[in-house]
Amino acid sequence: MNNRCAALLACVTACTVLALPRTAAAGGTLAVSISGAAGEPIAGAVVIAEPLQPVARTHSAQKAVAVMDQHNLMFVPDVLVVMTGTAVDFPNSDQVRHQVYSFSPAKKFELALYAGRAHAPIVFDKPGLVTLGCNIHDNMLGYIWVTDSPWFARTAADGRLQLHELPPGDYTVHIWHALLNETGAQLEQRISIADNQSGTASFRLSRPLRAPTHNHGADGKWADY
Amino acid sequence: MGRLLNGAALPLALGLGLLALVPALTRAGELDLSVDLRAVSSNATDTRLEGALGKPRYDSGQDGLRLGYLRLGYRGDLSPTLHFTLEAVGYGDHDVNPIDLTELYLEWRPIPSSAWRSRLKLGAFYPEISLENRMRGWRSPYTLSYSAINTWVGEELRTIGAEYSLDWLGLAHGHGFEFSTSAAAFGWNDTAGTVIATRGWGLNDRQSTLFGRFANVGGPLGSRTLFYDDLDKRAGYTLGASLRYRGLLELRGLHYNNRANLADGSDRIQDYTWDTYFDSLGARWTPSEQLTVIGQWLHGRTYFDTTAPINAWSYQSRFLLASWLQQRWRYSVRVDEFDLQQTSCNFCSVATGIGFWFGDDGHALTLAVQRSLSEHWNLALEGLTVTSTTPMRNFLGIDTSQRERQLQLSLRYDR
Repeated sequence: MNNRCAALLACVTACTVLALPRTAAAGGTLAVSISGAAGEPIAGAVVIAEPLQPVARTHSAQKAVAVMDQHNLMFVPDVLVVMTGTAVDFPNSDQVRHQVYSFSPAKKFELALYAGRAHAPIVFDKPGLVTLGCNIHDNMLGYIWVTDSPWFARTAADGRLQLHELPPGDYTVHIWHALLNETGAQLEQRISIADNQSGTASFRLSRPLRAPTHNHGADGKWADY
Repeated sequence: MGRLLNGAALPLALGLGLLALVPALTRAGELDLSVDLRAVSSNATDTRLEGALGKPRYDSGQDGLRLGYLRLGYRGDLSPTLHFTLEAVGYGDHDVNPIDLTELYLEWRPIPSSAWRSRLKLGAFYPEISLENRMRGWRSPYTLSYSAINTWVGEELRTIGAEYSLDWLGLAHGHGFEFSTSAAAFGWNDTAGTVIATRGWGLNDRQSTLFGRFANVGGPLGSRTLFYDDLDKRAGYTLGASLRYRGLLELRGLHYNNRANLADGSDRIQDYTWDTYFDSLGARWTPSEQLTVIGQWLHGRTYFDTTAPINAWSYQSRFLLASWLQQRWRYSVRVDEFDLQQTSCNFCSVATGIGFWFGDDGHALTLAVQRSLSEHWNLALEGLTVTSTTPMRNFLGIDTSQRERQLQLSLRYDR
């Protein structure tokens, strides 16, 4: 569990870093906060700011290889956000073999049964949500959000995040969470960013998140019976 | 000769199957090994395995250090979608073979291209009935002794045949539910019912092996019941369904019927057909990272002999298990209730020397504490109390009502 938390934290940090300015370039900042139906902070939510007009991107396109690990029969992190065109590596840190697949329209692929690092990274070349499964362990479930926008991150434990270096213009801010139990207009907002100015967007979910799933100590000694 | 060939058919088929798998064994697969050593203290009457009717695995004559099991598992693949599983186990209790098979099957498991997926199993495997036997080798991560229901499944209900399953993978399709349905046809099933009818229920973790024996009441181990025999050339079947909600709740149901022809018993080898069927329902609720709650119910009937009135038994059992996982510690408690009633008898007369009908009525409490010492080592302490009234104990000259207690300390290594 500690490893999972560490990996999750590393990814959240990495995702956040990717959205941070690499230089002290001009641009606005967007502060986002998300709370649940009872006002509680929603951690781990994906926030993507999509420009509504062509903008001069101050971000360089994300080229680094992202990592979606598998540990203790779970995908780690549970949610990964990458830019379109990013390659994602799928190492298997378990002692048992996995067979990762997705039949999501944004990326259909399969990795033949493997242990360790047996497969080359997969390039995610179409925006959208990619749901991951393991054909051997049906309880494993993971997500990769692929977006054309370079402005994205996941909320911290306090339900907040900041996106930096947004060129002036209008944006649609989308939020998503793996345990989201609702759809609708409340999951996106339109905001304007002026040069060197800050914008804010606050979201409040109308329904509680679904209960999270757990692995209850499952590891390579467990099997599907 | 025909009978001999029939008896050899299963070992021969499995042997050839193993031989065919040898090239694949040299490829990368998953080989795992388990050793379970026990320190045992018990006041139980002689065990059912040794021809008596003790409910726990160990009796009062087996106090001391025991081999819980030595287990070898192997999983490999013949193609990206065709896998095989082999499970072998040794209990060190003088069964026919020191190491024997408990599972051996091929599984075709295509990678899903939509929310629907088919699966096909061929070989010797457990029907999808237990919600507590989740570890490789069909072991329980919760307690050392299985519930009465799943002890019986391990003793004589492994199926040898083909099972087709159709899964709807709703989670990977953005829904909250998944469900599966399965249908299996199996042979070598005609003695299933012998144990439940003549010994009643037990609570242990000793799965019968494919070529092993189970002593008849009053007889030594190795002398009697041949498991997985086929006398009537008639396939049995199971129909199963399961529903899973986001990994938090799983419901399972199974109907089993071995469709045995009661006229096809064999006096020569003292193997007889038992026409056995049952229904089972179970639920596993996992509301938090720590808590798991499992409940299961089973009810069925078995019939024996063709002379009217045909001998008939009705049996049922249910259990409720709660397990709490706290970092490296796991605490589990389980309550079992069970009963067996003979509802018709053509031999229960004083004239035959048997002046009673068979039956078994009782309950059990299991308390277990486990500590994971490392990735490979696990320590478990379990106390089991079984209170039961079993008329068949008249055969052994002991009180029909017994309260049996067993304490086990297990040190397990998994690699």
